[in-house]
Amino acid sequence: MSDQTDVLQGTLDLLIMRTLALEPMHGWAIAQRIQQTSDELLRVQQGSLYPALHRLEHQGWIKAEWGASENNRRARFYSLTKAGRKQVEAELEKWERLSTGVNLLLQRT
Amino acid sequence: MRLWHILRSRLRSIAFRDRRELDLSEELQLHLERETERLQAGGLSREEARLHALRLFGGVEQIKEASRDARGTATWDALVRDTRQGLRRLVRDWRFTTAAVLILALAIGANTAIFSVVNAVLFRRHAVADPDRLVNIYQNGRAGTPLVVTAYSTYMEIAEYTDIFATTMAASVPNPIRYLADGAVRDAVVEYATADYLDTLGLRPSLGRWFDETEVRPGAPLVAVLGHQTWNRRFRADPSIIGRIIRIEGLPVTIVGIGPANHRATFDVGLVTDFWLPMTAIPAMMPRPGRRDTPTIFAPLFVKARLRDGVTVSQARAAMDGLGRRLEAEHPELFRAEGEFALGPGMTVLPSTDVRIHPAADTPFMAIASLVLVIVGLVLAIACSNLATLLLVRGAARAREVSVRLAMGATRRQLVRHLLIESLLLSLAGGVAGCVLAWWGMRALQRVDFPFRVDLTVDYRVLAFAIALSLVTGIVFGLAPALKATRVDLLTTLRDEGLQPVDHRRLTLKNALIVFQVVVSVLLLGGTSIFLQAAAAGRALRVGYAVDGVAMLETDLRFAGYSESEASRVFDELLGRIRAIPGVESAALLRGLPMEVNGVAIVVDSGDGQPGSTLEAAAITAAPGFFDTLRIPLLHGRVFDVRDRADAPRVAVITERMARQYFGAVNAVGRRFRSPNDPNSWTAVIGVVHDTGTGDFDDDVLDPVGPVFYTSYIQSGALPTTVIARTFGEAAPLVAAMQRELRAIDITLPVMTAQTMAQKLAGSLAIPNGIATLFGALGGLGLVLASIGLYAVVAFTVARRSREIGIRMALGARSQQVVWSIARGVAGLTGFGTGIGLVLLVLAMLVMRAGGGSADIGIGSVTVYRPSIDPVALLAIAAVTALVGVAAAFGPARRAARMHPLVALRHE
Repeated sequence: MSDQTDVLQGTLDLLIMRTLALEPMHGWAIAQRIQQTSDELLRVQQGSLYPALHRLEHQGWIKAEWGASENNRRARFYSLTKAGRKQVEAELEKWERLSTGVNLLLQRT
Repeated sequence: MRLWHILRSRLRSIAFRDRRELDLSEELQLHLERETERLQAGGLSREEARLHALRLFGGVEQIKEASRDARGTATWDALVRDTRQGLRRLVRDWRFTTAAVLILALAIGANTAIFSVVNAVLFRRHAVADPDRLVNIYQNGRAGTPLVVTAYSTYMEIAEYTDIFATTMAASVPNPIRYLADGAVRDAVVEYATADYLDTLGLRPSLGRWFDETEVRPGAPLVAVLGHQTWNRRFRADPSIIGRIIRIEGLPVTIVGIGPANHRATFDVGLVTDFWLPMTAIPAMMPRPGRRDTPTIFAPLFVKARLRDGVTVSQARAAMDGLGRRLEAEHPELFRAEGEFALGPGMTVLPSTDVRIHPAADTPFMAIASLVLVIVGLVLAIACSNLATLLLVRGAARAREVSVRLAMGATRRQLVRHLLIESLLLSLAGGVAGCVLAWWGMRALQRVDFPFRVDLTVDYRVLAFAIALSLVTGIVFGLAPALKATRVDLLTTLRDEGLQPVDHRRLTLKNALIVFQVVVSVLLLGGTSIFLQAAAAGRALRVGYAVDGVAMLETDLRFAGYSESEASRVFDELLGRIRAIPGVESAALLRGLPMEVNGVAIVVDSGDGQPGSTLEAAAITAAPGFFDTLRIPLLHGRVFDVRDRADAPRVAVITERMARQYFGAVNAVGRRFRSPNDPNSWTAVIGVVHDTGTGDFDDDVLDPVGPVFYTSYIQSGALPTTVIARTFGEAAPLVAAMQRELRAIDITLPVMTAQTMAQKLAGSLAIPNGIATLFGALGGLGLVLASIGLYAVVAFTVARRSREIGIRMALGARSQQVVWSIARGVAGLTGFGTGIGLVLLVLAMLVMRAGGGSADIGIGSVTVYRPSIDPVALLAIAAVTALVGVAAAFGPARRAARMHPLVALRHE
């Protein structure tokens, strides 16, 4: 896998986990929330959302439970695990460093 | 902790796969619904909203696949799915599956069986402590190369070098003996060894002890160490055997210990030694004519020594070279002698790990073993190419299925994986079946009571070999057809016009495979014919003595505890009773079985007073009445009679060949020869008889008959063991009558051999016949395999061309024309393969003829048979191959010819 996809994938993971830090949500709501919170700047492709959710669950950072959705349907609600919270902090820190670095580089050249 | 979580998640994913699939669908379904609702809220109609949501969403199945991938179980799932699918398909195509598994089972079974023999002989090494400190020491022969054996006196000299060697041991070559256990006399193998034997190898007896220094002195009571395997096999691992007395060669021997569990024999070639006896037991166990009371130990010995700490192999070599020079100075006469036992300069010292049997024999030995492996490998090659043909044909028949799946979005990788899994399943099934076959075959082999036993236990190496073999077969021979099957032209295949251009190329993978199979089958059949020829030649050679109506009965009075004087009286009584049996024309006593020879060295009196050179000859112990009973014609002089008493001058009857070769004239009566070790053993020739065939222990009819002489057991001071008799009538009832007479004398006398001469002859031809049978079986197997391949190809061609055939027949072609057009292809392939095979066969025969004759392999010589190029045999091979080809093509071709044009045209 090339470095680029890693970064992108890592970014999506971070966005998902950051969103889930507020409250448990199902997949569609996560996508909506990311879109709204980013003032429609970021758009999450379903094609990458669900694989990312399953990957994060598989890694133990989020867990899923069945619950009732807003329209009263059965939905898989994802929430952060304890390990996930630590991971979010670590990822955030990493992201800060990366974006500062990239910004500095872009401004100075 | 996290690792545990991932593991659990994966296990759960695998275990609850169906649940997870449903969950995933439901999850995605909800997403679609919410999206639709959102869009509807934005003002779209429900239907528009749904379509829009779907478009936005992308491929549901792809997302599912990617989500599964994210869990890391996709590969596993695919494997399970493909395996299940493969199994289903194989069960459905049970005909194809049975054929393929059978082909593989036969080939892998044959290979595994042969490999276990090679494994026992070549690869399995027994445990010896610090093997790199152990050296083998050989006395050199004339050419400065190691002799086969070392003299006992030389071993005693070597053992004196205690500053070089910590311990030194000597062991004899394995010798056949007989012992009494559970009331039956059994064949066994014994090694005579020194007291330091086990210490030198660095091993311990598994029970009891090894014999000590006092027990290896001449005249000490006989003791023995029982081999561990024999202890298990024959004595049910009974520990109370220690201290018990058993009778070996009729003599009471006390068992003092059980050998180490992992030590089979001194010879590291998978043979099993049953007993170890002290070196000094040799004169008692092997009372050879004239050597009865000589204190000298004359036995072929192998010497091994353990180096002292800090001593290198080259230091040992230097010391032994010094010994060699000293021996040459002290015993110049030994170094001047001619022939097999002549000594040469120096000694050879080799690390034990470098030697398998003997430095001079290892290379030819390995070559023979590799040759056997190559032959069996050829059968495997046929089977593999056959499987490949079958898979190719099957792959082509599945072209439509493959293209449908490709069109549905399956990747080529997935398809190849799927096909590979199928062929792997096939080959594993074949491998398992092959192992069962091999195991079964080897158990059958082990039940046969050979005089020599080879340890054939299936160990991890054999199993690994079989499994590796089947896996490699599956991958290598599944890959090419799989790649070919998935390389299809989607459009034409899907349209299935059935009019795709018929492949008129000659050099296709399929055709090459078929031709290869035919070539190998022809070669194997050729091998069969050569060995059958050799066996027939051997049979013809043996004629020269009476076979019909001749019977023999062997016993050993020592097992019944008779003294020597009683014994000879009992034998005289037995002979008298057997002569009195109605129908018996003639009977005689002898030692050993008729026509079995002992190789001996002799010195011939040249007549001019000069000491002659040492020559090799074969000795047979006979007695008065022997030549008459076996109807061996006398050419000159006389045969043994009452004059040749024990105290009379030694006499011998020699064969025509020995007379001509060693005395220069057929009438050699009055000439004399002696043993090279004993200047007073002059033996006078009293008669010359016609040449006959002989049989020795490692019986091989390919050996030419060498110079043979007969002596009388009466003069050798040994007891007879056998009665032979000839009757007017059938020999089989005579055998029973002779046994009755023996029991009438003493019911406790053991019957060691009771058979007719015809049975003995058949037994002595067992090895060449066995080899011919093996080749024949392999050749037949190859031919059967090749015909299955041919059949599959022809059937496939017919199926592919059914539409073409239908059109032709609709246009008025006759069925013969159709059959001919199909048969032409098969005939071409078979003919081509047979041609190549015959050419190679003739070339191989020419090479054998050119290199034929006797080849020295260090321990004795092996005679390479010179096959005559027999046009009848070659024609027969060609005819058989052609017949099989025609038979394979006949079924499908006839089906094609009988096809109704309409059916053929509609045929998919």
